[in-house]
Amino acid sequence: MNKRKPAVAARATRRGRTARTNPGAGTEHKTAFAVAAECTVADAGSLKAGLAKLLDEPGTVTLDISAVQRIDTAGLQVLATFVRERDSHGRQVQWRGEAPAMTNAARLLGLGELLKLATQQ
Amino acid sequence: MTIDLTQFHDAFFEESFEALDSMEAALLKLDIGAPEPELINTIFRVAHSIKGGSATFGFSDIASFTHSLETLLDELRSGGMQVSLAISDLLLKSVDVMRAMLRSTQAKQPLDMQKVSDLQFDLELTIAQKNSAPPKIAPVAVLAPAAPAVAAAPAAAAAPLAAPVTGASATSAAANAAPTAANPGPRGWEISFRPYRELFARGNDPLRMMRELAELGELTVHVDTSALPSFADLDSQSCYLAWKLELSGEAREEDIKQVFEWAEGDCDLELRQLGAPASISAAPANAQASDVTGTTPASDAAVADAILSGKPNAAAATETPTSNTVPGPDSEQSSPAPAVTPPSVAGVPAPVAHGGRSAPVGGASPAREPTLTAVKENKPDSPVAAIGDSGSIRVSVEKIDELMNTVGELVITQAMLSQLGSALEGPNAEKLRAGLAQLERNTRELQESVMRVRMLPISFVFSRFPRMVRDIAQRLGKQIDLKLTGEQTELDKTVLEKIGDPLVHLVRNSIDHGIEMPEARIAAGKPAAGTVHLDACHRGGNIAVEVSDDGGGLDKERILAKARQRGLVGQNDVLTDDQIHDLIFLPGFSTAEKTTDLSGRGVGMDVVRRNVKELGGKIELRSESGQGSRFIITLPLTLAIVDGQSVAVGSETYIIPLISIVESMRLKETAISRLSGHNEVFSFRGDYLPIIRLHELFGVEPRARALHEGLVVIAEGDGRRVGLFVDDLLGQQQVVIKSLEANYGHVEGVSGATILGDGSVALILDVTGIIHAASMRAAA
Repeated sequence: MNKRKPAVAARATRRGRTARTNPGAGTEHKTAFAVAAECTVADAGSLKAGLAKLLDEPGTVTLDISAVQRIDTAGLQVLATFVRERDSHGRQVQWRGEAPAMTNAARLLGLGELLKLATQQ
Repeated sequence: MTIDLTQFHDAFFEESFEALDSMEAALLKLDIGAPEPELINTIFRVAHSIKGGSATFGFSDIASFTHSLETLLDELRSGGMQVSLAISDLLLKSVDVMRAMLRSTQAKQPLDMQKVSDLQFDLELTIAQKNSAPPKIAPVAVLAPAAPAVAAAPAAAAAPLAAPVTGASATSAAANAAPTAANPGPRGWEISFRPYRELFARGNDPLRMMRELAELGELTVHVDTSALPSFADLDSQSCYLAWKLELSGEAREEDIKQVFEWAEGDCDLELRQLGAPASISAAPANAQASDVTGTTPASDAAVADAILSGKPNAAAATETPTSNTVPGPDSEQSSPAPAVTPPSVAGVPAPVAHGGRSAPVGGASPAREPTLTAVKENKPDSPVAAIGDSGSIRVSVEKIDELMNTVGELVITQAMLSQLGSALEGPNAEKLRAGLAQLERNTRELQESVMRVRMLPISFVFSRFPRMVRDIAQRLGKQIDLKLTGEQTELDKTVLEKIGDPLVHLVRNSIDHGIEMPEARIAAGKPAAGTVHLDACHRGGNIAVEVSDDGGGLDKERILAKARQRGLVGQNDVLTDDQIHDLIFLPGFSTAEKTTDLSGRGVGMDVVRRNVKELGGKIELRSESGQGSRFIITLPLTLAIVDGQSVAVGSETYIIPLISIVESMRLKETAISRLSGHNEVFSFRGDYLPIIRLHELFGVEPRARALHEGLVVIAEGDGRRVGLFVDDLLGQQQVVIKSLEANYGHVEGVSGATILGDGSVALILDVTGIIHAASMRAAA
């Protein structure tokens, strides 16, 4: 038990770090954004800050959700506000990747339609 | 605006400690492999509330630790992980650590953070290991037909949070509505859930509630996003969303309320039973769902229509949400103006009451419905109910003591009046006496009620044992079944607080000395697992608490040998079983060959006996070799009142507790013998008992000096019997004990004082102390 600790710990840390350093580092200029693994109320502030830069982006914004592991109502609320506001200006938001945690959460909160997650795969 | 949060710290700590106790109890009840979901929910809620509270108060260490714990519990709850022995151990350790953290935070003292971070690491490790292991998805019991959900269970494999949920998505609401509409049978609930802005900050997540609701039945979710501000104005920590939910199925109201328990006070919550037409008039103003997105009003109204067995044309009215005309009684689903509810429906009591209060009813609907109230309900069939989650208020002990004191004074005044009244003559004397009799009855009832307020079930003490027994048994490699009965037996809080330690001693002893190792038990033809049984019951005016085991019983030979070796017993003395048993209560007596950290140091049994004595109780021991032993502790119900015999010595009145009295008699001259010096004894059923003259002990001028002129009260204390010489017996009565220590100081031989009906003070005798004092005098 004790011997195995460091290996798993290292892995856990690594996973966390990759997820956290990724945001904004997409290849498609500034129109892509990788949503972090943790999107809970504690992370909602940084999520909002990250998305704020893309709010007025004229083209389609792609949100990569493949890393999302945990998301709660606060996180989804930020995303929903973002999508709704872009929608109202006729600006598209596109999803990339799959995040069952997020899809499920959105469905449970009745936000699936607004986020247009249900039709995306 | 700043609020000084420190004023809430005490309440937080107190609640957290209580919550941890119930978490521990729930953990110990958790069956490995097949855990009761409700228990896991209980455990989860505790972790969750402590996390929320500690985050609010800025105790970041606790918050961080409980966060890890909560993550693990979430896994267990969603079925992503199974409860194993290792996990259950880990959770129990977490309880200890949380308790330690809370304590050190409360005392503002540093804590060994290494231990905390080690355990937190273990928790995270366990979660991480789960993530790398093949997922196991536990089936979740849902009565509803599987909804055509888009991302269903198989996809959940990679995601730790994705519980298999069969709640219907908003988009599939219409499809799901069809079978409901066809069959008006299954009822359900309409829930309006409107969180306040600060819901998130209090550690609540609506997602968790939805997930729990979805487990109760088929859930249809309509979110209200109308309050969402622009992205720039969005405060990521505030909740702007609101929901209208329909839960079909047979979910109970209390189950639903329990889901929202932690959001209590942070949201407006309304529950309405579908298919119950009478509830319509209770439709509150803010139940309107004018802004429902992601739903089709037509199908909604149709469902409501069918369920509510209402008028077919009502659907038309509900489809126009802006309509201010009188809607059909069924249209509460989207009626924006409940104030115009037809008077014919108004006045019908709402079947759904909030927390025991009935919802306001009437044509004029209330501006705002009461939020989820703080009343917790007792559910006898729920496994958590037994843990002590009863409807209660928190009152400080001082207030109750004060009340108790006042009632004590009242009793005295009443006794005084009674005494006065009985001597009165005159035309109204009879009426006065009738009134006084009434007063006496009421006073007694009041006194009993106040006493009951101080009473707590003994489960408060018993609850610590499952954990302790488990730990000790594990350490010693023994198998122990702990049986607890009579947990609801109530006794005075003061007694309760002091009985804990003696019981711990006894239980430890039973496990360490009583129960044999599994092999030895099997060899003796007993089941491998020993049983330790804790029982409490009322017996007469007392409480009997029993600790029994089916172990080896006391080894009389060894006790006797040890006593002879130590010179406590003469080499040729023959002792009765009771006398041998008595030996183990002597200070420093131990037969254990090796001293363990549990017992064997010889401190213990004498302390146990002393503690029990201090409470005015006694302890008996019955033991049968090879069959086990039984310790029976008899305690008074309360320390505030004692049943006493009042005796006269000269002009003074003394109270002797009835529990100490064996009998009273007039001595014959022939029964008395005088020993050398001043000592007198008398023969009593073949025994010679010393006589203690109370007038000498207390320096009072007596009416009777010759022993045959007065009476002796044969009293028992500390295992010894003596005759107390008094002038006369006056009567038996219940007296309210006033502490002598608090008002004056300790006096040997006196346990307290009371005020008699005529206003005079009488001392309450402590027989053990008197015997002690008398033997000191005799020795001097």
